[in-house]
Amino acid sequence: MRRRLLLRSSLSGASVGLLAGLAVAGVGWYVHHETLRLVAPALACTGVLVGALAGAKKRWSDDDIALFLDERLDSGEVIATARETENRVQDASNATEAEQSVLQRAAEVLAKADRKKTRARVFRRRELALPALVAGLVFAIRVPLRTIPVAHGEEGKAELKITEIRGLEKVARLSKASARDAAQRDRLDKIAKDAQQLKEDLARGIEKRDAQDRMARIKDALREEKLSLGSGDERSGLDAAAKTLESEDLTKEAGRALGDHDLEKFDDEMEKLANRREKEDREAAKKKLDEAIDAAKRSGSKGVSRALEEEKKKMEAREKRGALLRELAQGLESTEGGSGQDEDKKEAMDQVKERQRAFDQKPDDASAQKLAEAMGKALEKLTPEERKRLADRMRELSKGKKGKQAGDPEGAKDLAEELSTPEGQKELERKLKELAKEDDESEESKRDRNLDEAEDGAKDAEKDLRRHGEGQQGQQGQQGQQGQQGQQGQQGQQGGLAGIPIPGKENGGGGHHEDQGTGDHRGETAEQKAAMLKSRANPKMQRGAANSGTITVFSQGRAGDTANHRGTGDLTTVGPREVDAVERSEVPEEYRDQVRQYFEPK
Amino acid sequence: MTFEESIGNAKNAVATLKQAVGRVIVGQSNVVEEVIWGLVAGGHVLLEGAPGLGKTLLVRVLAETLDLRFSRIQFTPDLMPSDVTGTNVLILDPKDRTGGSMFAFQRGPIFGQIVLADEINRATPKTQSALLEAMAEHAVTVAGTRHVLEQPFFVLATENPIEMEGTYTLPEAQLDRFLLKIMVPSPSEDELVEVLSRTTGRAIDTQAKVLTRDGVLSLRALCRDIPVAEPISRYAARLVRASDPTDPSAPPIVKRALRYGAGVRGAQSLILAAKAAALTEGRVNVSFQDIARVAKPALRHRMIRGFEGEADGITTDAIVDALLTHVEARPSNVAREREAAK
Repeated sequence: MRRRLLLRSSLSGASVGLLAGLAVAGVGWYVHHETLRLVAPALACTGVLVGALAGAKKRWSDDDIALFLDERLDSGEVIATARETENRVQDASNATEAEQSVLQRAAEVLAKADRKKTRARVFRRRELALPALVAGLVFAIRVPLRTIPVAHGEEGKAELKITEIRGLEKVARLSKASARDAAQRDRLDKIAKDAQQLKEDLARGIEKRDAQDRMARIKDALREEKLSLGSGDERSGLDAAAKTLESEDLTKEAGRALGDHDLEKFDDEMEKLANRREKEDREAAKKKLDEAIDAAKRSGSKGVSRALEEEKKKMEAREKRGALLRELAQGLESTEGGSGQDEDKKEAMDQVKERQRAFDQKPDDASAQKLAEAMGKALEKLTPEERKRLADRMRELSKGKKGKQAGDPEGAKDLAEELSTPEGQKELERKLKELAKEDDESEESKRDRNLDEAEDGAKDAEKDLRRHGEGQQGQQGQQGQQGQQGQQGQQGQQGGLAGIPIPGKENGGGGHHEDQGTGDHRGETAEQKAAMLKSRANPKMQRGAANSGTITVFSQGRAGDTANHRGTGDLTTVGPREVDAVERSEVPEEYRDQVRQYFEPK
Repeated sequence: MTFEESIGNAKNAVATLKQAVGRVIVGQSNVVEEVIWGLVAGGHVLLEGAPGLGKTLLVRVLAETLDLRFSRIQFTPDLMPSDVTGTNVLILDPKDRTGGSMFAFQRGPIFGQIVLADEINRATPKTQSALLEAMAEHAVTVAGTRHVLEQPFFVLATENPIEMEGTYTLPEAQLDRFLLKIMVPSPSEDELVEVLSRTTGRAIDTQAKVLTRDGVLSLRALCRDIPVAEPISRYAARLVRASDPTDPSAPPIVKRALRYGAGVRGAQSLILAAKAAALTEGRVNVSFQDIARVAKPALRHRMIRGFEGEADGITTDAIVDALLTHVEARPSNVAREREAAK
């Protein structure tokens, strides 16, 4: 009887434990918590134990069993009375007649009793539910974890298909841009090739995140290329050259531009200096440039010094051209005032004057070219007499201003000789036309400009990617909830994490500490090194699902990187906006020292 | 004679007694049975019922079938205690040759062995108390002399619940002296037809004596020997405690309708009556069922209803029913098992 009750209590405990386990497993399934599901069988076992303990603790006394038997055998409590009598009277012979009769009656009742009737019922509803509960628990443990709906859909996984994307062709054109050296040639070719490939892939259709990743890589490469002059070991040379140039007011802006790696602006500044009217200024600028070249050489920055030397050559050529134009303009003035001047010639001469003024005000290559063009036209209008007068004038200039400012006496002499013959005059006209079309820009400036254009192109392409992605995501978002997501959930169970299908692989594992999978992550996706991972700040984490739209870039982490700013990549290199910020700021000069001290690291 | 044989004989004797009474009394088998419980248990019985239901006849027939001295007291308002107990009267002293007189105790009707106190509530409390004292003490004291009543002494009082004007309701303390209070129901149609048949013809012959005085005394002794297991005593105790409205175990109806519950005498009555019930059925021990069967006659007159109980017409029988439902006879685990088996 007691054994049956103990068994029943244990089974009952098991039922309760299984029920609790089932509930826990259900919760585990719902919240996508594998560990919780595994707790369920433990709860069932605990239930058995607790049930057994409870059964043992509530063990029926003899009196209870006697009463139970009386009830089942309908014996009018004779067994209970006999049991009590037996307890009270140790020896039956000491019992009264009445007590003996009770003992006898009880014995008779028990002797006649049907044993089946005296058994406690082991299986009640609760115990009968055991098989169903066990089956339910097994099901609850083995059923695939619920796929947690991804709030933002499968952002990044949506396929992008853009037949015409702006800007990438600008990047692709880098393959035709000049390179500083063979290494840069290779790098530029690779960038151009990547851009072209991305363009073609986008036309065929690729995953958005893949496109974004590749786009980001291209942008990074472009940025890196922009900073390539004076990077790494040559940084000190660049700094020395920039500081040298900045030490002189005349070349200060050029120095800053060089320090900022803004080679286009640097070239513009040098151009202005070369075309300046005052020869002292030009000489001073050349001197500073020479000093900067020396400084770069002393620092061992061959690349920087080579670029500066090229800039110097360009400067000299520009200077020569400027002087020539100014001398010729001066000479042309002498041809004025003669009788019979027609309107065309007057107009041409006025234009020369106007362009000369513009050139003086803004002495850049464009102004020089426009002046040369105007001069060429004016020369055509000159009569032979006027040309002779111009040649005489040019000879005077070459004699009178020899060794003085503002002019190239040798150049003027040459001009005079050229103007003395009709062939020379023709040749001068041709030269002036060539000057008007001459490309005086330095190679570094061209490269910088090409890279700027490529960067602009990359930005445009990125905008297109984003715009198309949003448009397509709006359509696919709803489909994703109904269609793709459902399939991916199925795959997710095999892959280890719901929502992240790993084709062809079983359970995942070895990742997060809560990842209970037993397989591995080797699938079609290439193995990613941790150092290559990079994510945006403030990602929205979702359990069991890929970070939607947060992983956008797979690139090497570099020194100076922040969540929102691309670093320069070298510990010895800093970004253009990270130094001399106070100097470049709008803080008035007299307060800069205080401001600098305030921000000085302690 | 063994105990088993004595039990068997007792069962037979009771059956014979019932049969004999049944020859005169139509129906009322429960009433007869309960009266016999009172007789066997050695208590007194209060019969309550409307006039003409055969209460007096039942007692008279019972007295005839038992070889006991029967006396009847018709209670009236002018009945004096001495009319019940007896009194000293002045008589000529037979030993005195001079013709002197002496006081001699003239026994009252209380000195019978089966005493019918008919319409007990019509006498004054003073007279009632004289009877009740004799019932409790089994003796009367007159003029300083105590006169022991002969055993067995069995009082059957009747009470008429109607025509209450000019009656003196028995105080609760005195009602408590009755082991059982038996309600005499109205006969059914068939029973009434039988009554008419029997009472409107020739008078029935006197009943033969089926049980002697010694027989009654041995029944009473045997009844006291019937063993009671502790769970059954506890059940009786729980029932009585639950009838106390101040007890936490009392059911709501008790708390609402009762002012006072049954006391110790109630529990004693339960056990004694249950023993008698077991004995009359030839069983050697008391069961839960016996307790439940005797609960109403043993407890109904021991509970005092409160204002709400009286106003709502809640009878003490209804309260006993509620107690039997509310109080679990067996321990909870056994009871649960019993329910599960069902």
